[in-house]
Amino acid sequence: MTHTPAFQAFQRAFAQHLRDPHHVKRPAGVPDRRAKVYQALLFNNLCGFIDRCFPVSRELIGPPRWARLCRTFYRDWPLSDPLPRHIPREFVAYLASGEIKQPLPAWLPELLHYEWAELAVDIMDVSLPAHNPDGDCLEGRPLINPASMMLAYVWPVHRISPDYRPRKAPATPTHLVVHRSPEGEVRFAQINAVTQRLLSLIAAGHTGRAALTALAAELSHPQHNKLIEYGGALLKDLSRQGVILGTAV
Amino acid sequence: MGFRRELIAPLSKAVPAPIQFFEIAPENWLELGGASAATLRGFTERFPFVCHGLSLSLGGPGPLDTSLLKRIRSFMVAHGVGLYTEHLSWCADEHQLYDLLPIPMTGEAVKWVAQRIATAQDILGMRIGIENASTYFIPPGAEMSETEFIRAIVTEADCALHLDVNNLFVNSRNHGFDPVAFLKALPLERVCYVHVAGHHVEPDGLIIDTHGADVIDPVWALLDQAYAHINRDVPTCLERDFNFPALPELVGEVSRIEAAQGKAAARRERVAV
Repeated sequence: MTHTPAFQAFQRAFAQHLRDPHHVKRPAGVPDRRAKVYQALLFNNLCGFIDRCFPVSRELIGPPRWARLCRTFYRDWPLSDPLPRHIPREFVAYLASGEIKQPLPAWLPELLHYEWAELAVDIMDVSLPAHNPDGDCLEGRPLINPASMMLAYVWPVHRISPDYRPRKAPATPTHLVVHRSPEGEVRFAQINAVTQRLLSLIAAGHTGRAALTALAAELSHPQHNKLIEYGGALLKDLSRQGVILGTAV
Repeated sequence: MGFRRELIAPLSKAVPAPIQFFEIAPENWLELGGASAATLRGFTERFPFVCHGLSLSLGGPGPLDTSLLKRIRSFMVAHGVGLYTEHLSWCADEHQLYDLLPIPMTGEAVKWVAQRIATAQDILGMRIGIENASTYFIPPGAEMSETEFIRAIVTEADCALHLDVNNLFVNSRNHGFDPVAFLKALPLERVCYVHVAGHHVEPDGLIIDTHGADVIDPVWALLDQAYAHINRDVPTCLERDFNFPALPELVGEVSRIEAAQGKAAARRERVAV
């Protein structure tokens, strides 16, 4: 057995207390008033990072339940990332883990993910590859904005609000693309399942025409030319919106 | 001055002359893309920066995060940052707590912390500064005073001291000691960097180190004392983390640092003559 120095035994006991102050006793030698100072400092600091990222979710489930969630998150979820900005990502993972006893709306994990995606894309560390912004998206290989995420949800997360709390998931999923403009502005666009599939074929490195031909085959589309014509216009539109940067050079 | 997102808009118009450098927490800026990264780059290209770490947990019982240190090193190289300091505290066991906690001041802790500082210095390829931290109780089992603890670690690790004058003041009130005696007992010949900041006083008198208020006069007076005893020029940073006033008010505090440095330099010259 390795020897644990007394100072580290204290640190571990105090850490456990701070993660769960209502159930784990504070170590001997820590005055109550001062322990409470640390409890509040640490918990408020953590909640600050979480609250800022999820204003809609917090409002929808209400601050008391939200605080309980933050409490169990701090107690139960291993936070190993030293960068505080990754706390919201861990919170999303915690909600998706299904380990929470507290009853919560079925859409909450997806709504949290949707709120987090905005922050994630805002600060995504990517460099723009060389591209031709005026390239032909049909004949060339369109380049998807690397500062973007394709999102697919069971719930219509972008519509959920205090006035719209769905009880049943709609028959069709919600597809969204969130992307960052060259000026650094984060934008959301709703797309459909076919466009999402087209974008994933393009992400695999196909030319616009090859991706659309493959898509037409997958869909057993009766008029390949029509689909390619329509698809070409769609790619132009995505390019105008900034989801596609242009074509690879 | 501490480089904060809330101050970027006014600083982007013009950086007032008294501000000669900025400080950032590498954990808040490394591996960041988008507009924030471009903004930071715009400033690090024009001004010197200092890195003041948050999450390294130098005094923690868990393994030292050497991966974080390597990432900080890359960040410092990318932005031309020459000084890194961290708190003499801990913020993680195996997992993060994301705030600064007091280390029990024992002989074993001295060895443990000093060896981790030495590893950090090896990875960063430079001498680092460790900062005296604000604490709200003295952990049980202390075998020495805080000044003895700091001196022992700084000597054993062969690192520099980052003197936080506000933290010194906060602790002197919360634990009841004479701040000037404490100051004089520190290894001031090792000071590489100084902090001043404001704090918050609770109704029962307990002081919380918030960096959310103006610097108070007793802390300014302590800064003068510190300069007199350090007896040379040391870069000094005004920390402000929230409750931001308009930029000119903060610049007023930075000017006050400059004035204190000028006064101390003039006194040294008179003594030399």
